Amino acid sequence: MSTTQSETSTRTGPKPIDPRGPRFNQAVLTAALLIGFIADGFGDGAWVVAPVFAIALFLGAAFGPQYGPFLRLFAKVIRPRLGPPDELEDPRPPRFAATVGVIFLGAATLAFLADAAALGWTLSLIVAALAGLAATTGICVGCEIYLMFARRRGVQMVA
Amino acid sequence: MLLAILFHPRVLMVLVLLFGLALATRVWRQRSAAIVAERPDHPQLPASLLAGGSTWVMFTTPYCASCGQVAEILGQADPTTPVVRIDATERTDLAHAFSVRSAPTVLLADAAGVVRERLVGVAAVRRHISATAA
Repeated sequence: MSTTQSETSTRTGPKPIDPRGPRFNQAVLTAALLIGFIADGFGDGAWVVAPVFAIALFLGAAFGPQYGPFLRLFAKVIRPRLGPPDELEDPRPPRFAATVGVIFLGAATLAFLADAAALGWTLSLIVAALAGLAATTGICVGCEIYLMFARRRGVQMVA
Repeated sequence: MLLAILFHPRVLMVLVLLFGLALATRVWRQRSAAIVAERPDHPQLPASLLAGGSTWVMFTTPYCASCGQVAEILGQADPTTPVVRIDATERTDLAHAFSVRSAPTVLLADAAGVVRERLVGVAAVRRHISATAA
């Protein structure tokens, strides 16, 4: 029995977060990218939504939730009006997912600057779809990738 | 003018994307509900995991922030029922067999290893504890 018992959940790690924070962030990101995509069909300049949100995601992913503008908005304005969360989550998987979003939106920005708008919007819409999926269902593809790598690391350590 | 906006290819593409998201959400909720409901085809838990009488079997992950809290709640509610933790990332065979999709997923097994209860998340555990205490 002892071999199956695990103390992993008692490992010390970063402070757990309210999962509704990243979900709010993902919902805003999805809405902004989709509105930007539509607006771009009617006039120029809406592509700036990609670099703007790349920076917003980068701030939260690199320096912590208090530096991400929408995560901060959630923590300061929205969360005090809600009840306590049912459960908390580890901040590392959503942070990794946000980093993947930064990379995609960064690449989209480069594509827009290089006059490859179709590629730019394709990358932006991939981010919008994945963020939308995470916001509505909680299925966070970036988080799963993080867990997969974490598991691999674990296996390598054992070997 | 309004029609021109509504039928703009980009608006239609966004609508298709939103429809896809709505569909994914619906399928996800249905599947979650089906898994949470009593499943007669659940296999029995191996005897090596059980502690004789009733046992709480809790599936955790290395990144589960609320699993410690759940173990504490279960332990306080009934100290005579032991809580066995299984890391779902290590025992993927068991996690797959019991359709574990998120942590904590808690199963209450009887002495024979038959799953009598299935709880997913802190809120479900709290509800169960207060319902059985009442």
